[in-house]
Amino acid sequence: MVSNERTPDARGEFLAGCRDMAPVLVGTVPFGFVAGVAAVGAGMTPLEGIALSLFAFSGIAQLVVAQLVAAQSPVVLTLAAALIVSLRFLMYSAALSPHVAHLPARWRVPLAYLMTDQGFAMGVHIYSQPGDLRLRHWHVLGSGITLWVVWQSSVVAGAVLGAQVPAAWSLDFVVTLSFLVLLAPALRTRADLAAAVVAGAVVLLAAGLPYKLSLVVASLAGIAAGVAAEWMHKR
Amino acid sequence: MNEWIVILGAGAVTFLTRASFIVFADPQKFPHAFRVALAYVPAAVLAAIVVPGLAIAHGALDLTASNPRLLAGIVAFAVALKVRNPIVPIGAGMAALWALQALAG
Repeated sequence: MVSNERTPDARGEFLAGCRDMAPVLVGTVPFGFVAGVAAVGAGMTPLEGIALSLFAFSGIAQLVVAQLVAAQSPVVLTLAAALIVSLRFLMYSAALSPHVAHLPARWRVPLAYLMTDQGFAMGVHIYSQPGDLRLRHWHVLGSGITLWVVWQSSVVAGAVLGAQVPAAWSLDFVVTLSFLVLLAPALRTRADLAAAVVAGAVVLLAAGLPYKLSLVVASLAGIAAGVAAEWMHKR
Repeated sequence: MNEWIVILGAGAVTFLTRASFIVFADPQKFPHAFRVALAYVPAAVLAAIVVPGLAIAHGALDLTASNPRLLAGIVAFAVALKVRNPIVPIGAGMAALWALQALAG
């Protein structure tokens, strides 16, 4: 053993993860509040709204479920819409899996549950940084728990306090902006751009469809457009 | 009653998609076409979520300069392309929306 080798320190990694998540929380608080308000506004009890947040831990899935519950949609369609908006987790999961494949299931299960759009972006960034990677999952855990605590607290506040924020504040726009901030860096190639433009056009054209089917149709059309653009570029 | 089925189902759907490759499967074992398609999921799904929030105002499509959410979204998008820290584009977008609403009101 080399005694002066810089050993990675689990506590230090964990706390660095908590700190690094801080800038993201500015968007998390109003978004969580809006999600809590939406659940109660859809006719759920505050307890149901909070339970939905604990089980799903996904802002957009919670909002989509709330909208479809409010519209009294069939359970199968509600869950299909939740699945469509969660498809991006498949891609995140595939991209992160090589970094955590060596960990036991007692680590991988909670890290999977805690993975969010923001957590994924930070995880990819943190695993690309130089240095000892052996304890970097503590960083992912710290950032994930930080986001989780702030998100759930904000949802509870929204579900309990209800719609006491004046509509003129347009707090719901934070939801759109939160995803817009993630969309911008996802557009790296012409094929990405094709996927986004087609999905954006189709979602407007299909806006009249019931049960948020526009989201499903537009997502699938966008994915197809991205694949087609890549294929045409390669020929 | 139905609410609890939806709550548990939404929990299952979100956990299983997150856990798919981290817990259960090796992405290398899936067909190439599947992995190609997977690469376009974020751009497509995020655009399908964002665009209605910008282009639909009061339940109707509004792609004109009189739609403050569309203009504020363009501002936020331009900032997001330059600045990585999410506070800045979210703050710029909200500030732009409030300013435009104040001007219109």
